[in-house]
Amino acid sequence: MEKTATDLFIARAEAAAAQVHAVPDEAAAAKEVEAIRAEKGADGGAHGERALPSGVGVVRAAKGIAQTGTCIVVTDDEALRLETMLPEVSVILLNSADILPDLPSAAPFLRAEQTQGRASYVSFITGPSRTADIERVSAIGVHGPLELHIVLIGGRP
Amino acid sequence: MSYAHEIEEALKDGFLRRTLDKFAVEYRAGRDRVFAEVDERALIQRIADVKDDAARRMEELYEKFRVEAEKRGAVVHRAKDAAEAREIIAAIAKENDVHKIVKSKSMTAEEIGLNAHIEAAGIEVNETDLGEWIVQLRHERPSHMVMPAIHLSRGQVADEFEKATGRAQDHEDVHKLVKTARAELRPKFLAADMGISGANFLIAETGSLAIVTNEGNGRLVNTLPRVHVALAGLDKLIPTLDDALSALQVLPRNATGQRLTSYVTFIDGATACAKSPTGRKILHIVLLDNGRADLARDPLFSQIYRCVRCGACANVCPVFRLVGGHRMGHVYVGAIGLVLTYLYHDRAAAKKLCQNCVGCGACKDVCSGGIDLPRLIQEIRARFAKEDGEPVASRLARYAMRKRPTFHRLLKFMRFAQKPFAGKDGFVRHLPMALFGKQGFKSLPALAKKSFRELWETRDSWLAARDSSPRATNQKHLTVKIALFAGCALDFSLPHQLVAAMKVFAHFGVEVEFPMEQTCCGLPLVTLGEKETALDVARQNIAAFVGEYDAIVTLCASCASHLRHWYKDTLGAEAEAFSAKVIDFSSFVHDMLGLTEKDFTRLDWKVAYHASCHLCRALGVKEAPRALISAAAHYTPTPEEESCCGFGGSWSFKFPEISKELMHKKLDNACSGDATHLALDCPGCTIQLRGGADREKRKIQVVHVAEVLAASLEAGGAK
Repeated sequence: MEKTATDLFIARAEAAAAQVHAVPDEAAAAKEVEAIRAEKGADGGAHGERALPSGVGVVRAAKGIAQTGTCIVVTDDEALRLETMLPEVSVILLNSADILPDLPSAAPFLRAEQTQGRASYVSFITGPSRTADIERVSAIGVHGPLELHIVLIGGRP
Repeated sequence: MSYAHEIEEALKDGFLRRTLDKFAVEYRAGRDRVFAEVDERALIQRIADVKDDAARRMEELYEKFRVEAEKRGAVVHRAKDAAEAREIIAAIAKENDVHKIVKSKSMTAEEIGLNAHIEAAGIEVNETDLGEWIVQLRHERPSHMVMPAIHLSRGQVADEFEKATGRAQDHEDVHKLVKTARAELRPKFLAADMGISGANFLIAETGSLAIVTNEGNGRLVNTLPRVHVALAGLDKLIPTLDDALSALQVLPRNATGQRLTSYVTFIDGATACAKSPTGRKILHIVLLDNGRADLARDPLFSQIYRCVRCGACANVCPVFRLVGGHRMGHVYVGAIGLVLTYLYHDRAAAKKLCQNCVGCGACKDVCSGGIDLPRLIQEIRARFAKEDGEPVASRLARYAMRKRPTFHRLLKFMRFAQKPFAGKDGFVRHLPMALFGKQGFKSLPALAKKSFRELWETRDSWLAARDSSPRATNQKHLTVKIALFAGCALDFSLPHQLVAAMKVFAHFGVEVEFPMEQTCCGLPLVTLGEKETALDVARQNIAAFVGEYDAIVTLCASCASHLRHWYKDTLGAEAEAFSAKVIDFSSFVHDMLGLTEKDFTRLDWKVAYHASCHLCRALGVKEAPRALISAAAHYTPTPEEESCCGFGGSWSFKFPEISKELMHKKLDNACSGDATHLALDCPGCTIQLRGGADREKRKIQVVHVAEVLAASLEAGGAK
């Protein structure tokens, strides 16, 4: 059976330690986001470290990339960008119709963003922040989010 | 501490050895897994083409980048050298009243020694990449481009964190240490006035920066403070977004075995920034020349522009694996580190580092841009040799080898001279220790009683013995005429391997000639930096092999790659016909003669295989020898068949400690299963591994693939 771009996206995003929530439509997506907020709590739930700003950040991706399980988020807006950086739990909404096959196929989108006569900041996000800097032990959650949830709209029936 | 002593100390570092050993094996597996999904060779070629083009058009791309970036609110600076780059950045800090700086990883900042300079101005600088922060706390330099603290244990890291935080740290749980870094550095991000980052690509068409990170520190560094300074070499310029996205398919795969890193950030100009007095980010992009523009015009060295700083050349380097980045690099680590050290940083350091390369070619094989790193390192050695005047070894070699009869007379004299020391089985084990020194880890091969060229005269008698045995019914009769290129090591030290090959040729009716005027292939001369004499012997060989041959066959992978590549690359048309005919023994038998298991009787030998560097990488021959072993015996796969045995010609005499460890590891791997034999296609590797197996009393017999085939035919004939 041939894998669809959506199936591949899910597999690759999960391989990068993201948690994918496939939902049928926008209404279901909103519910899913609320459920994640409720579970993780406004203060970051079980991960709460009071010294650090925490909580759940929610943004919307413009595109996805199947081959790498990546979300492309336009983060020109500083506050929105920080939503993807400071909280311990990051949620990204992605429409399955926006999934591109691979990195090179993102060039036209990126070029359009960068040629609008203004400055831009585009983030390719693949899984939560991670490091292997101590003894090459893979550790999830360094300076960015400890968890990445992708709410994939129209992903699966 | 002398460099030799530093290496000895590194080899005694058990933690480092275990870490790098494990890493070398896991890295390969991870890399293979993610490259299986893409066309690796095509992507590497694309990077090579794009970056070669970018090097040629550097000034044009710089201008385009500057115009586009400034159109979007950035300020672009060009620094001619390290000092100027430091001054520019210090001035930016001063004019913006900066007191605290956070930094994400930048090898270019390491190159210009930025931190010390800024700190001297009374400004606090905090590294935020975990590994960089650790080495900053220890006042060390990174030992790897991607994993700066790979040389440290979790216990050492915990000790540093205790000193830095004043709180007790968990010495076992790495995840808790990572949390400490998060908690400790977050306030520093929030308090910083300026962020300094590197950049992986400077995209000319839109003036944008691409920054590749995993930890998320890079995005905080370029977002939270009001000032962002991006520092990058001119070599990071790349024409288009398509080029950058294409290269991103290789960089993370090659660096860490990831399909993509957690974050790739494309910054295109100064976006809105709440902390900035103007409401816009104060964005400065500093492009460092530091010799790059001149280098872009160098016919040989311009290829280093293809480097994307993935660190793969270190990850696969057998010497790095043993001694770590602090002894296999300076600012930059691994093969590219040796070259960059020579070109940009410290010639004295480069001089000793460049001796370190065993020439196995593993780095070239995995390089993101296909840079011929071993060739560049060889060239640097030759330049040093020239600057120093000739060492005695080179002078002797040139004198001895320019004329073949002189060289061969000398070898005959040495055979006489070794008599008191040589054992009956072809090893020299009893040289006085004064002569052996650190070479004692392997038994050295004796020169044979009769060289192959002497045996050649009487070949009718030793081949006739074989001919009188009943011939197999399936025997092929082939009308192929070859010339045999012996190579010095086989001719004078291991002629029995050539005799085995002759028996295979005779069995299948291959007509063989042995031109007596042939001499050394010249590779050892090139290694010594004796290019002129190497050209002399090359021309002697080409003249010796004028004739109607279908192929020029050699049992030596090193000779084969030298005759095929160096001759053609250096002599051009003069060598073309000759080089085109050169083929290694296994490829000749497998590919040209087309022999398969039907042609052999299967021996009960269990045969492990060592893929010589010059065969599997320089010549790209992988299948033929394994197929032949499977046809004539029982091929027994063992771990890391393609890793170097540590011979490397005269290199093993310069770095006996490292050579010994590589050999030992190789033999451990070969003996890890139930193999009775270890087959290979190279006399250099034979000398190393046979000598090592003898000295370490291993129960494995080291043989040439030709010997496996000859034994199989012999067994068939006896039936």
